[in-house]
Amino acid sequence: MNMFSSLMLASLSVLTLPIMSSILNTHKNSTYPHHVKNIISYAFITSLIPTMMFIHSGQETIISNWHWMTIQTLKLSLSFKLDYFSMIFVPVALFVTWSIMEFSLWYMHSDPYITRFFKYLLTFLITMMILVTANNLFQLFIGWEGVGIMSFLLIGWWYGRTDANTAALQAILYNRIGDIGFIMAMAWFLFNTNTWDLQQIFMLDPNLTNLPLLGLLLAATGKSAQFGLHPWLPSAMEGPTPVSALLHSSTMVVAGVFLLIRFHPLMENNKTIQSLTLCLGAITTLFTAICALTQNDIKKIIAFSTSSQLGLMIVTIGINQPYLAFLHICTHAFFKAMLFMCSGSIIHSLNDEQDIRKMGGLFNAMPFTTTSLIIGSLALTGMPFLTGFYSKDLIIETANTSYTNAWALLMTLIATSLTAVYSTRIIFFALLGQPRFLPLTTINENNPFLINSIKRLLIGSIFAGFFISNNIYPTTIPEMTMPIYMKLTALTVTILGFTLALELSLITHNLKPEHPTNMFKFSNLLGYYPTIMHRLPPLANLSMSQKSASLLLDSIWLENILPKSISQFQMKTSILISTQKGQIKLYFLSFLITLTLSMLLFNLHE
Amino acid sequence: MSLVHINIFLAFTVSLVGLLMYRSHLMSSLLCLEGMMLSLFVMATMVVLNTHFTLASMMPIILLVFAACEAALGLSLLVMVSNTYGVDHVQNLNLLQC
Repeated sequence: MNMFSSLMLASLSVLTLPIMSSILNTHKNSTYPHHVKNIISYAFITSLIPTMMFIHSGQETIISNWHWMTIQTLKLSLSFKLDYFSMIFVPVALFVTWSIMEFSLWYMHSDPYITRFFKYLLTFLITMMILVTANNLFQLFIGWEGVGIMSFLLIGWWYGRTDANTAALQAILYNRIGDIGFIMAMAWFLFNTNTWDLQQIFMLDPNLTNLPLLGLLLAATGKSAQFGLHPWLPSAMEGPTPVSALLHSSTMVVAGVFLLIRFHPLMENNKTIQSLTLCLGAITTLFTAICALTQNDIKKIIAFSTSSQLGLMIVTIGINQPYLAFLHICTHAFFKAMLFMCSGSIIHSLNDEQDIRKMGGLFNAMPFTTTSLIIGSLALTGMPFLTGFYSKDLIIETANTSYTNAWALLMTLIATSLTAVYSTRIIFFALLGQPRFLPLTTINENNPFLINSIKRLLIGSIFAGFFISNNIYPTTIPEMTMPIYMKLTALTVTILGFTLALELSLITHNLKPEHPTNMFKFSNLLGYYPTIMHRLPPLANLSMSQKSASLLLDSIWLENILPKSISQFQMKTSILISTQKGQIKLYFLSFLITLTLSMLLFNLHE
Repeated sequence: MSLVHINIFLAFTVSLVGLLMYRSHLMSSLLCLEGMMLSLFVMATMVVLNTHFTLASMMPIILLVFAACEAALGLSLLVMVSNTYGVDHVQNLNLLQC
């Protein structure tokens, strides 16, 4: 009997304390944000102990606390699944959130509603934890919807701005389309396996799992911004930078991938769904990498980078490697959050300037931010022995040596080299060269909150990959032997991307700008996808429904067919054939005389 | 024919003549129409009750219902004419306008 479950539950439940303090009105204090940050750091340290116990002994736990209700044969209870995935994800998420909270103490310092901001971030974290530790689909759905709602509230934080409201609504709508898939999967599981508990589903191992897995894939497409339901992620950059760092890089958008990873026992038996996942991920990663090449907003480039990495995770699930995808989730959280925080530092220092064409020369002006931006970009592209290498290189190797779709593999490799290209673009435009911002600057990175938070994630970006890979127990065996050109594929395409981007940037730096080519326009306008899909289908839908309901049913069938047509016809024909002149008295009189005469004749005649 | 029957029959005839011969108001012919209906109703009720023809005792009431409908129709025509001309003089209806 050890303290595993108690410590884990303690670590999760201390997170709810600041929320409950709003009953006592302590949340009006100005030290409330500091309390929140401290509580998250305590929760992180507390959750490290069960994680280390898990790593040492491999003990997985299911905590089934409270039986909520039983609906005929379905038993719903509050249960936590503390297995490999949740035990490693929880400390990583808490660590990244701790750093982001400290960063937002600096970033949102002048915001009058900073306590509400921290409360929203904390609520988001709690719902994310619910999602990750859920043992049944109902609890997972609660967490799923919770992160969606908090994402809406946080994206629209500056709600005076119409773009922010539109972006928040867009996030909700696209997520909702994914939720249809989730609910379809839940219904299928209820019908065919009589439960929403993961253990029972995996034990029963149903045969024809095409429909629920399609539903889960749709849910992942919505939540993790895969191609088809992806425009909400770049638009979500309307929210403050801590929101982008937490939600849209490390935690919320990986919820979709996490869902697919949770269902890997079902997915490894279904080749069709695996191929579908692979192709979807390959399309996503290439398309978003192409879109990232010509964006001018630094946060949008990093958002597309997130989308591309999510596509890579989906590709990994498609080649039947859920544990590698999970490793990539954990390592990606570190450097992506740090990239967002560096961009936040740049934005604040240049007085809210987000366009990279107006930045430059920050290499000497902001050394710490420069360092962390470069290290984050190197980790992102998979430079050997930084964090990203341990997951990304393994993924590319496994994809190269597995029996898979060659087109999907080619897309993934091209997207990997494009990752290097746009990372170089950010570094070139934001950091190198001569300054293009206004001379009166407010560049200041001396705040300890900023420095400490980025420093923590910096150390994580360098060492976390090594640390995690060496401490987890082996799951699927990676491919050990392969030809040398396959081993060096990822490195080669990355270096190719770097050199190409650097050469192009240096050559074209002083040329006269030309009219944009067609390919440039395709990339800059996000492949025309939002332009088409946000206008054409709603217009078609609304006009079709207006024509069929109002015009066809009401006007034609109810009004025009019988009543109006009869009256029209009558009027026309009566005008046509009548010769009367309206001498009514004459007609009546003649009628009377005829009647009288006939009466007389009839009576007086024998 | 008994005296009562002749009485009612005369009432019917007077109304009929009033319907077919009138000077200018359309309203008077509508009134005579109502008078015809009333006398018919009384005649029918009397005959049915006197001969104990129970099966036909529905007839006067149905006659009443249909007469109500026709009165409504006649009044609506009157209103249409009155809307156009302001008065319901019959000599106005000399143009067949649609």
